[in-house]
Amino acid sequence: MPKLRAFWLRILGALRMNHKAADFDAELESHIAMAVSAGERNGLSAEEAHRQALIQLGGMEQARQAYRDRVTLPMLENILRDIRFALRQMLHNPGFTAVVILTLAIGIGACATTFTWVNAVLLQPLSGVADPSRLAVVETVTAGGAFVPNSYPDFQDFRDHLKLFDGIAVTRPAAFSVGREEHTERVWGELVSGNFFAVLGVRPELGRLFLPAEYGDAPGKYPIVVVSDRYWRTHLGADPGVVGKTLRINQHELTVVGVAAPAFHGSLPAIAFDMWIPYMQQPVLNGVPTWLLRDRHNRNMLGIGRIRQGVTLAQARQELKALADRMAIANADVSKGMSATLLRFDQSPHGPQGLLAGPLRILMGVSLLVLLIVCVNVANLLMARATSREKEFSARLALGAGHARLMRQVLTESLLLSLCGAVLGIAATPVLSRALKLLMPPGPMSLLVGGNSHPSVTVLGFTAGICVLAALAAGVFPALQVSRMSLSARLNDAGRSGMAGRRRNRLRSVLVAAEVALALVTLVGAGLFARGFEQTIGIDPGFDPNHVLLSQLYLSTNGYTLEQRKEFCRRLEERMESEPGVLGFAYSDGVPLGFEPSWWEDLRIEGYAPQPDENMNIFRNVISPGYLPLMHIPIVEGRNFTEADNEVPDVGSMIVNQAFVRRFFAGSDPIGKKVHGWGSWFRIVGVAKDSKYHYLTEPATPYFYVPFRQVYRADMNLAIYVRTQGDPESILSTLRTQARAIDPNVTIYDPAPLKEFIGASLYPQKVAASTMAVMGGIAILLAAVGLYAVMAFWVAQRTQEIGIRMALGAQPRDVLHMVVRKGLAVTAAGMALGMICAFALARIIASVSYTDSAMGASANLLGDRATDPIIYAAAAVFLCCIALLACWIPARRAAAVDPMIALRAD
Amino acid sequence: MGGKTDVWQGTLALMVLRTLETIGPQHGYGLARRIEQTSGDRIQLNYGTLYPALLKLEQEGYVRSRWGASDNNRKAKFYELTKAGQRYVRKATAEWEETTAILARFLAPAGE
Repeated sequence: MPKLRAFWLRILGALRMNHKAADFDAELESHIAMAVSAGERNGLSAEEAHRQALIQLGGMEQARQAYRDRVTLPMLENILRDIRFALRQMLHNPGFTAVVILTLAIGIGACATTFTWVNAVLLQPLSGVADPSRLAVVETVTAGGAFVPNSYPDFQDFRDHLKLFDGIAVTRPAAFSVGREEHTERVWGELVSGNFFAVLGVRPELGRLFLPAEYGDAPGKYPIVVVSDRYWRTHLGADPGVVGKTLRINQHELTVVGVAAPAFHGSLPAIAFDMWIPYMQQPVLNGVPTWLLRDRHNRNMLGIGRIRQGVTLAQARQELKALADRMAIANADVSKGMSATLLRFDQSPHGPQGLLAGPLRILMGVSLLVLLIVCVNVANLLMARATSREKEFSARLALGAGHARLMRQVLTESLLLSLCGAVLGIAATPVLSRALKLLMPPGPMSLLVGGNSHPSVTVLGFTAGICVLAALAAGVFPALQVSRMSLSARLNDAGRSGMAGRRRNRLRSVLVAAEVALALVTLVGAGLFARGFEQTIGIDPGFDPNHVLLSQLYLSTNGYTLEQRKEFCRRLEERMESEPGVLGFAYSDGVPLGFEPSWWEDLRIEGYAPQPDENMNIFRNVISPGYLPLMHIPIVEGRNFTEADNEVPDVGSMIVNQAFVRRFFAGSDPIGKKVHGWGSWFRIVGVAKDSKYHYLTEPATPYFYVPFRQVYRADMNLAIYVRTQGDPESILSTLRTQARAIDPNVTIYDPAPLKEFIGASLYPQKVAASTMAVMGGIAILLAAVGLYAVMAFWVAQRTQEIGIRMALGAQPRDVLHMVVRKGLAVTAAGMALGMICAFALARIIASVSYTDSAMGASANLLGDRATDPIIYAAAAVFLCCIALLACWIPARRAAAVDPMIALRAD
Repeated sequence: MGGKTDVWQGTLALMVLRTLETIGPQHGYGLARRIEQTSGDRIQLNYGTLYPALLKLEQEGYVRSRWGASDNNRKAKFYELTKAGQRYVRKATAEWEETTAILARFLAPAGE
């Protein structure tokens, strides 16, 4: 304890927080006076007594120094002195300081922002839960090996039989409409198993979460709701007495039992949900028939398991798989060949991270690349400055400072600069973080991304690390330069800049070459991504998204039964089709090229014998008869759905696409063939042309359509399409009016032109291409600045040499050539290195893909253009031009040197 | 300076504290003189090292200082023992006695 106290006091001393040193002068004075008078009492002369007193003391200055060393911590004292000196230096050259700090702020800010996203989406997928490392995603695996969500009965088996888990919970994201009839608002929440909060380990902020008595499987029971802290504050006025009150949700009264902890946003990464309601309320709230809850085929629940303490993921996965395999045999009618597995949260195919993981990794890499360029650039600037400060350093060396001391000084300066840059970068992070939101495509999910964007401790820690690394990277070369500085050479040089700078210049040339290489890598990257994006945009989706308004209806949240919903759609169609300017009206369950996963059905096809483990899960859409004509998807054979398909017959109707025909009916006529799905038979009545369903880049995929009236179920979505003559948004008010005319409580949600909506499938490529373009621009700018600085400095140093050359007859043109040649040599070296790196990196990036679906459908970010020579060449030529420009200005200055003035200088 | 010993490493602090305990508050010069007298002028104190030692003790909370007037009315800084200092002296004294007692057994003539 006393030691600690002393240490603390010494730190305060170093910070000049006490006045010990001044006090000591007075004490010394009094000491000497006493010693002198004692000496005089012993008969010494005043002078001799004073001399003796000093001898006994061991010297005034020595005593003071010994005392001072004890007042402060000498090491800390030195560091503080370095910092003060560095600050003075920085203020002395405000222009230089501003450039360096801004450069660093760009690099560090870009890294911090990207890391904020990576952290939120990939590293800490769930916040507000206990011990997230023991949580894992439970996925059902189809016979074909694809990951799909779980059914509620499967969940019950998992929950009741698994021993290596503390618990398993399931959840299903859902939209609710909250409020009285005319004033409902859509709120996103989750329908969850009763044990959801217990498994995740969420704590209530207010009231309670779900109790074990509410974990049961009795459909229609537990009319309770837990709201998020955000919702409680923004919509319920942070009312402390909210517990026990009721909220009107989907036209049913639910009792608020509690508010979840502020950090908890639900079970999907980067999405903020506001309500959690027991899944058993699903029949009440959404009119879903209760048998669906008992249907093993109804796989729509995302599963989360908490692994028991001390059990590894592999062990838990093994137990889960063994149980699921047994279940597949026991329930062979619906689950034949199915299994289950456990995934780490960051590997979960659900939620936005499937889409974002690839682009974010690339973005992180690019940010680090830019930071590297920034560091090289700053190192370059610092070295130039160290050269111009040679006189100062020589003076300090001459006065006895060690090389280590000078190196420390230089490193302190670079650390201080990068610290300022980091502070600036961090300050910009919240603003930049919002950019991710701006890049999101329109659609229901867009509102939810980015629950909070202020920097967390992890982000701050990461930034601090980056900051120190940047300081070291930028400071190590100047520090080495200073350490190599030889006093004698410098003094002998007598102030003339001659050969001493040679090695230093080589070092700086290497740095610039590295910068050019890095810039080339970014440039090639930007070009490849942009080209891939452009190519993808150019792909024909197979349908016509222009002039179509897309919107969503949530009729079940209005308390509609299935029949009422179908009736509503029919009446809305009637009304809309008689409106002027409306060319078509249709509705469907899924939207092609959307942000959300597509659904599929396990099919049995008459006359086709599948391989033992063949994946017979085929993607599908449930459509109204107007859908295919509205989308301009041609029927190549047979007929479209008609009104006649609208009753529920013994055998339903089905339209398949060409890829479906190629796979299952090679060579034979598909029309009239029977297909089994949803527990009943369908007859193929038509063949539609192939189009794109998930990604523009996907290969032709088997796909089928079934009529809305025959297959539409209570838990399906309802998207409506209106084709117009002109601007699709202009029809929105008409659509609203017509919907209200049928039922004033119905609201049209998320209206967006289909053209924009399908941009969702382009999202990863868009992010990659646009951020790469921005980063590439920054990289080129930095490289040009670096090249310019080096060349300008080189010219300045060689002014005399150039003067002599010109005095001996060199023409301005020769000088110009000499300088430009020198600059281009550096550029060429960098470019050669950059080409190799760019080529290697492109091959790695080409293998990165993204997905928005658990069904294994995924697309590559780059397409197949990783080795497009035109892009490499274009990047190199562009960079060459920039380099030429950067050399040209100093070269012009060199050529304009007047030999007389140059020789007289110094 | 034959016959006079330098202060052993680490013993100065104890000497200072013990002296302060005996004679009460004292200024630096008086303390130094007193230590030399107590040793029967057998140790040679470098007065310059006394002040950092006092500062260390003060930082550790064993002594405190305040300005006052000396015997002949000169302004001087007086050091006095704190409660923690008193405890420390007792503890350190006991430890030192123990150490010397043990060492004495080793240094005693053989056979006893």
